[in-house]
Amino acid sequence: MDILGALLKLLQGGLGNLAAYLAAHVLLCLLPAFFIAGAMTALIPKESVTRFLGRNAPKYVSYPAAALAGSVLSVCSCTIVPLFAGIYRKGAGLGPAITFLFFAPAANILALVYTGGLIGADLAFARLFLSLIFGISIGMIMALIFRRSDMAHDKNTDTLFAGNVVMRRAALGFLLILVALLLSGTLKIPLLTNSYARVTLPLSGLDRFQGFLNRIIPFDSSRGQEGVTVQGAILIGLLFLVGLISWRGLGRISEGFTGLTWASLGLIVLTLFVAAAGMRAHAEGLDILFTGKLFGVILSIVFLACMGLKRLPQDDMRDFLWESWRFIKQIFPLLVIGVFFVGIIRVIIHTEWIKALAGRNTLLGNLAGVLFGVFMYFPTLVEVPVAKMFLSLGMHRGPLLAYLMADPELSLQSILMISAIIGRARAWVYVFWVALFSTVAGLIYGALEDGANVWSIALYLLIFLALLAGGLWWMSKPPAARSTASPEAPGER
Amino acid sequence: MEIRILGPGCQRCHEVERRTFNVLAELNLAADVRRITDIKKIMEYNIIGTPGLVINGKVRCSGRIPRPEEIKAWIQEEK
Repeated sequence: MDILGALLKLLQGGLGNLAAYLAAHVLLCLLPAFFIAGAMTALIPKESVTRFLGRNAPKYVSYPAAALAGSVLSVCSCTIVPLFAGIYRKGAGLGPAITFLFFAPAANILALVYTGGLIGADLAFARLFLSLIFGISIGMIMALIFRRSDMAHDKNTDTLFAGNVVMRRAALGFLLILVALLLSGTLKIPLLTNSYARVTLPLSGLDRFQGFLNRIIPFDSSRGQEGVTVQGAILIGLLFLVGLISWRGLGRISEGFTGLTWASLGLIVLTLFVAAAGMRAHAEGLDILFTGKLFGVILSIVFLACMGLKRLPQDDMRDFLWESWRFIKQIFPLLVIGVFFVGIIRVIIHTEWIKALAGRNTLLGNLAGVLFGVFMYFPTLVEVPVAKMFLSLGMHRGPLLAYLMADPELSLQSILMISAIIGRARAWVYVFWVALFSTVAGLIYGALEDGANVWSIALYLLIFLALLAGGLWWMSKPPAARSTASPEAPGER
Repeated sequence: MEIRILGPGCQRCHEVERRTFNVLAELNLAADVRRITDIKKIMEYNIIGTPGLVINGKVRCSGRIPRPEEIKAWIQEEK
């Protein structure tokens, strides 16, 4: 009897977390983010970035280009692996390949948006900025350590990285409006969150419905749990419908637009509208608040529709919708399962444990964050709700960032994959540096949170990076030039 | 006809395979279609992005999902 009660409580915790999550967090940030990711995959030609990753590209071009490739080309692992192998074996070499590998999971649009929406823009920005610096650093360090064996490149591969495809103007505009849609739904500035008009729908019984929701999904805000509102319940219903209809409507879009396609697009737009509006249920009916967000979302969608119908070729639209739907189909179920289990675990873990281990920004706390990230494997993006759980249980933001940096980079699966391509010794050296830098990242960010000076830390980071770049430049010179070190010695080859 | 689909086994590669089979069925053709998932073998085809579509040894497309009409044209060229 007692066991049954405990099990029931766990189940309730899981379901409650899932419902609160679906109702409150996902929509306005994650749905547009899926479409942005789809648009990036479908509309940005790969060659527009990879042409900077050839063997002969100078280092000051190839490292930033590798980072850029990581953030725009590689939202899923099936792109990361071949591209990583390609850059390493046939292109710019070990350093940029490692930079790409490190930056891709931390800085793709889905991870950033999701971190920003669920945990906070500050943490998303820290994740982006520190991954960029440390990704480039780790790439350079790896290139330095293994500089001798990095010479054996494939010979006739120059054409592979040639190509001169440029992204179409209309496609770029389309992508920018998608970003505007995302921002207008998620930015928390008064212009967008204020409400400008109110309509009351005379629906009776909604207050009882809200009471019912509160009864079946009990919540305790001190543990970071949230309940479900009437608006949330409507959104969950809409999401189910979208999923059902899009299965055929968007999944089979390569055969052409059908009625189902339009139906699912219409439903998605409706879902976004409902999520952007404010709603309040009371005894007399349902208040609908016309927020700035809602106007922003409507405006962006009108623009998107115009561009999609008039300026973009229909083939591009089909690719875009197919890729977006693929992301949703691939990642969303994992997130749902992950969030459910996070809800269960939250019931088990005591706040005191987390507070004792990583409640303050200490070396030990950061190491604990990194180790947890290495030994636990979560599928794409599930690390974010997990991090949110830790935060609400009292983890300091420093160790939290250390965990967020280490988890997507290092798992047994990814270590095996990397060592198959670059060899076991290099893979473990890479793991060591990632663990070290994640810990440092956590410490730095934690110190900032505790009130350290931003500029002095930025200065230290820059000096560190300059030293590394100088070392790499010096090592890459031929030995003769190194000993004479004449001023006209050609720099990077 | 020999058709190879290159890719580590993600949804995009399956979509290429699905579209290829649809085209073959439409043209009423038989072909030896195989998936290549080993990353080392994929690299031998000199592509830097998956999925890739190889028809009779020629890399027709890589790094994106070809449209059904494109696949049809390539297959008819090889016929």
